Amino acid sequence: MILKRTSLSRRKVLRGAGATLALPLLEAMHVSSMAKSSNVIKPPVRAGFFYIPNGVVQTGWHPKDTGPGYELSPTLEPIRPIKDEVTLFTKLDRVKVAGTDGHAQAGACWLSSAAPDELSPAGYPLKKTIDQIMAEHTGQVTAFRSLELSCNPYEDNRESVYFDNISWYGHGHVARSLRDPKKVFNRLFGIKQHLESGSILDLVMDDAKSLNHSLGKTDKGKLGEYMDSVRTVEQQIERVTKRQEDINKLKLAEPVKPWQAMTRDEFIQVMGDLMILAFRTDLTRVATIMSSPERWGSPLKVQGLFEKPVDHHGMTHGQGNHHVRSKLAALDHFHIQQFASLVMKMKDIKEGEGTLLDSMMFTLGSGISNGRLHVYTDLPTLVAGRAGGALEPGSHIKSPKGTPIANLWLSMINAMGLKKGSLGDSTGKLKIS
Amino acid sequence: MFFRSYMRLSFVLLIFPFLVAMVLADTVFDFHEIRGRKAKVSNLSLPQVVVKGSTIEHLGTDHDGFYSITFDPVPGATGIELDWANEGGYKHWTIREIEAYAKFGTKLDIVAGKVVPGPARTSDKAFANAFDGDDETFTYTTQSGTTVAPQRTLLELGPGSNTIDRIRINDVAGNGDNGRMQKITVRITTDTDKDLATRKYFDTTNLSVQIFGEALMEGETLPMNGRSRPQSMSGYGDQWSSDTHLLWDGLIGDSMETTIMIDNSSEYNFHIQLTKARDYGQFDLYLNGKAIAKKIDLYSPSVSLADAINLSGLKMEKGQHKVSFKLVGKNIKATPYQKNRYLLGLDFIKIVNMRPPAKESKADLTDISPPQTKDHAATTESKLLVPSQLKVSLDEVLPILASRCYSCHGDNDKVKGKVDLKAVSTREGFLKDIELTQKIIDVLTFKEMPPEDEKQLTPQEHLMLSSLFRGYLDHYIKASGTLKPTVMRRMNRYEYNNSVRDLLQLNGDVYPLPEKVIRSSSYFKPSSGSFPKSIRISNRALGKNQIEQHILTGVSPFAIDLQSEHGFNNRGDELSVSPIMVEAFLKLGRSIVNAPEFDGYSNLINSIFFEPPNSELITRAQLELHLSKFIEKAFRKPIIPDVMERYVNYLDGELKNGQSFEQSMKKVITAIISSPRFFYISEQKNGKLKSQPLSAYELATRLSFFFWSSIPDDELLSVARDRSILDPKVYASQVKRLLESPKSKSIAENFARQWLRLDQLITAVPDFDRFQIYYSRIGCEQWKFGLQTMIEPLLLFESIMVEDRSIMLLVDSNYSYRTDEMQSWYNDPLPFGKRQNANRFSTNSQTFTRRTLPSRREGGVITSAATLTMTSEPLRTSPIRRGAWVATVIFNKPPPPPPDDIPEIEQDDAEIEKKGITLRQRLVAHQENESCVSCHKKIDPLGFALENFDAIGRWRDTYNSGLEIDASGEIFGERKFNDVIGLKDTLIKNPQWFMRSFIEHMLSYALGRELDINDKPSVDKILSKVMADKGKFSTVVTEITKSYPFMNKTNQSE
Repeated sequence: MILKRTSLSRRKVLRGAGATLALPLLEAMHVSSMAKSSNVIKPPVRAGFFYIPNGVVQTGWHPKDTGPGYELSPTLEPIRPIKDEVTLFTKLDRVKVAGTDGHAQAGACWLSSAAPDELSPAGYPLKKTIDQIMAEHTGQVTAFRSLELSCNPYEDNRESVYFDNISWYGHGHVARSLRDPKKVFNRLFGIKQHLESGSILDLVMDDAKSLNHSLGKTDKGKLGEYMDSVRTVEQQIERVTKRQEDINKLKLAEPVKPWQAMTRDEFIQVMGDLMILAFRTDLTRVATIMSSPERWGSPLKVQGLFEKPVDHHGMTHGQGNHHVRSKLAALDHFHIQQFASLVMKMKDIKEGEGTLLDSMMFTLGSGISNGRLHVYTDLPTLVAGRAGGALEPGSHIKSPKGTPIANLWLSMINAMGLKKGSLGDSTGKLKIS
Repeated sequence: MFFRSYMRLSFVLLIFPFLVAMVLADTVFDFHEIRGRKAKVSNLSLPQVVVKGSTIEHLGTDHDGFYSITFDPVPGATGIELDWANEGGYKHWTIREIEAYAKFGTKLDIVAGKVVPGPARTSDKAFANAFDGDDETFTYTTQSGTTVAPQRTLLELGPGSNTIDRIRINDVAGNGDNGRMQKITVRITTDTDKDLATRKYFDTTNLSVQIFGEALMEGETLPMNGRSRPQSMSGYGDQWSSDTHLLWDGLIGDSMETTIMIDNSSEYNFHIQLTKARDYGQFDLYLNGKAIAKKIDLYSPSVSLADAINLSGLKMEKGQHKVSFKLVGKNIKATPYQKNRYLLGLDFIKIVNMRPPAKESKADLTDISPPQTKDHAATTESKLLVPSQLKVSLDEVLPILASRCYSCHGDNDKVKGKVDLKAVSTREGFLKDIELTQKIIDVLTFKEMPPEDEKQLTPQEHLMLSSLFRGYLDHYIKASGTLKPTVMRRMNRYEYNNSVRDLLQLNGDVYPLPEKVIRSSSYFKPSSGSFPKSIRISNRALGKNQIEQHILTGVSPFAIDLQSEHGFNNRGDELSVSPIMVEAFLKLGRSIVNAPEFDGYSNLINSIFFEPPNSELITRAQLELHLSKFIEKAFRKPIIPDVMERYVNYLDGELKNGQSFEQSMKKVITAIISSPRFFYISEQKNGKLKSQPLSAYELATRLSFFFWSSIPDDELLSVARDRSILDPKVYASQVKRLLESPKSKSIAENFARQWLRLDQLITAVPDFDRFQIYYSRIGCEQWKFGLQTMIEPLLLFESIMVEDRSIMLLVDSNYSYRTDEMQSWYNDPLPFGKRQNANRFSTNSQTFTRRTLPSRREGGVITSAATLTMTSEPLRTSPIRRGAWVATVIFNKPPPPPPDDIPEIEQDDAEIEKKGITLRQRLVAHQENESCVSCHKKIDPLGFALENFDAIGRWRDTYNSGLEIDASGEIFGERKFNDVIGLKDTLIKNPQWFMRSFIEHMLSYALGRELDINDKPSVDKILSKVMADKGKFSTVVTEITKSYPFMNKTNQSE
């Protein structure tokens, strides 16, 4: 099934999930935090990350040529309408650290700011992920520091936390994602629930402080995570309260359809819509979406694409066979299509003198390039948007062999307004404009 | 009760027989026969013992016991002094034998001893031989009022300097009329001064004492022939040991037979307790075919215990012995049972070794001492599980390594599996890389190395290598000895549900939990000891996930916490609290008490808790009193004034704002259950000591989360509050109570489900066209009929738990719980005839019935359809996934992750078979690469053994194409089997494999952390007890709760 792009597609999809949307515009929201010059609002830069697991079929992914006029590969075909808004990066690598599961590391460490030799106790080169580094900065003004979303459709308990999360506050401290669009909606727009929570925050914080001195070192760290989270929530409540009026104006209704009953494309699009809404209302400027968790060898229905449930991970192992490979490429194509739909929606949203997409850095990628070989070199990476001018999209940028993806992350962090000279194993900033 | 009957045996002292208890060695027991809660702990007369400094005080009124006294190791010890005291008025006491687990494992040699007060010698001759270490029992008679008199000098420790940290006193006793041991003071010396009077002693530190019980074989646990079955005797009084005896009936001339194992040749006393009643017969008792008692008449007009049969001086050799009761006649007054049959009831057999052999100088024949960690009391028992060891040095072993190992692991830069043995050629090197050492022991134990096609080690070489490396490992554990610390963890959503349910006294769950696969619970009555034959249950696997269901309006759970890669979802390092979790806890706390249904759902509402204090002006003191119990329960800690004050202030504030008392109390509840003190499970760990016992409250909390996944209840809190939980007797009775509470169902729901990884069945999608019978159309929807197989292993687990059977039934059970439809689905080539794919079952609830299984290819968790389906691909089986599951779940040896580049195999076995080869042949052909073979050789046979089961777990004699199935294989190099029954046989013959794995899984669950090498001695110890009890479920959980890692915590390093 291919979603038709119409100017109303976002409304349709949200309605499919039960939400109606009164098309709020950034201008309509009197956001004190935004820079205003005369009558024109300069929209802030936002970063979104869209994760696809298990890598991609390499032969279907790579275009033959580079530069601005490159010819799209079959898998990338869905970005044709927005080709000028998207940058394709190739030959960016991560260093795989032996000793832990290759898939868990691919997902959990995709955005990690750790160098390969900085290992957490669990053995992963995992520390604060770049979305959280950005969020620390942008979260000083937005109601929500960041938004972590997952379209993980599996109801079993097959894999560990490392397969199911790409965003981390630090090692061992996961920025847990939400799977239920209703919960996401209520978190963003359910003012009442935030206000009610506020009253006992001091109490629980005092309880935490008094608990602290009886704890050992590791436990103190754990409680520290909790106290940080309480402070974040405290701030959130304060800021959501300030935005109360704006938010009430939106008159949004929560999605009706349960996520368990959604088709794959519905689920991903609804989550994407919620992310877009959060950006448009400037409730947050950083978000991550996992389109699916890493590995998770359980068969899954992808409506409109395959007749029978498919095991994405299993297929990556069978891609030596051309039948399997073509099915796998179709699944890659599907994911790109989902990404492209969201990019098109961003492009349709007017903001200031341009569109939402102009202020975006919306990155699609995987922490593994080839699911059969389990290698982390030449990671599939697409970035849509112009980051308020920091990005000059439309090209295929092929880096020299051995370029760490940390170079791209470093450039993106700087595009968000942070001044950072290095990150993990970065060797310099990647030229993105 | 055992103790009562024992008292009638006159004042013969019962000595702990050195493991005369059933010892398994190579004997295969029928685990199906094991049944009945042995309640071993309650049988013991555990005296109250308190440790004060270097002194152990015995406050109870019991007369005897076996003490294992441990203390911090004293390097260089040359002697030990034990200062004895008994109560003034008593006249009579005995110490039988003392041994120490010192470096050389020799018998302890007492340097000095005192009897205080006393002794007044009535027999100089006896006194002259006191403590001389021979096997006689000495009795000292004392008079009160005699002044302190130093005991005489006795023996010395063995040559060289020793590291003593443990003494075992095998019997300190008196009798009903006479004395008892009251006090032991332990001092150690490193002084070698010959003049004992001038020797200096110092006090031991960290003294603790463990008390052992009697060895007793319950009739109902003995392997028995013919028509025997356990019978509960609780209806006839409480005098039967464990309230149960073994009942047998037969015709005159028939015999009931059993075997017992003796592991030390010696002279024994037998004490046999039988039952008498009006339909009981007359029996001759035979030992190994020789009559040892004639015409024991068990007739009695009423049901009661028969006089104890005491037989002394029976010389018995090490090994198996046959005990039989031959029905030889009947009392003239006896009435037959069933026409012409007569009964026998065996309560217990107790065997006492009257001449315990001198302890052999044992084990430490390696160049390193054997394990002497604090938790290693049961060395004698453990020895049985550990192959014998040789004295061997690294120098002797190096040539073997060089000739047999280096060619792949060290020579010419060849380091297969990244193991370079040549690089680690010193003792220090092996101690430093202890993981490597453990790996070497494993590959030797399981005969994985050298590879099959290489020249094998001779038995002598094998023994030398394993002796050396075991010695290293033991030494490492001893030297390190620090347990891995647990990490403070928040409750997962299952635990949060149970805790809130119990704290707020709710009638049921807080929110629907998919974790509760079986939705019914009323049938689960562990205290009854019997599990229903037929159970009607509803389950979530079939009911449509209850997507939108609420129990309390507006209350929904947070997302499930995922399991650790090889563990459970209760590990602190993976349970963090992000802002979203803070929000979730705040929202839950609020929405629960404010749900419209709350008032009718919580029994707290009508309790005094919601009644305002009865006075006009409510004082802070009243509020404090009002809240204290609730806060103590919620936070599982003694009340801390500043915490109390916070909540009183909060309540006071709400009241002053004009809120009603009830409304204000609800707000306080919200705050309390939103507090980190509620949803974090933490232990105080800021002390300086590395390891220390848990506090009373911490121990209570660990217990309740292990058994109930919930907070302690009022009774458990009260024994924490008065610290009596630290008394082993009280502790044991609480453990028993928790296990017998219906709330212990969480062990099945939370532990068993995760251990078996059963959740994976939910997403299994057998191909619809190929496996139509997995599905069933109901109305216009296709349901997964096969999902109900998920219930089967859970009910098996629960029945083992409730009936206290052997955990070996999880490997091979002769019964199972199935619905009629499932039974047909398993067994009929075309289940349900024409009704193949429509309305085959009710989606609301199903009736599961206990069925005796006709074939051993069925039964147990490995061959359950749930397991077999969830480890298959949609269109074929996956021997590798199945093998990996067996390796992980059954052996707790998860295979390493596969290499990066693995060749693909067709996803449909029809495609493979078209080429005339089987899946097995296809897989084997793919593993030509040596690096693949070394791992797959271990994993695959476990999966190939299950090839007779198709991708949805149904039996097949051949593949669809008619190709033959080859299910043969071998485990650990040498144990060959032909099919799945052979695999089960191998597991049953080596019960220690599965038992160890199960203990490790469960201990890890109980502790909320991963185990490491330092837990090994504790696991060994639990295993030896579980082996001796043939795998009884209650022994597993009870021994876990008594283990060192469970009762202690380790401070986190700064």
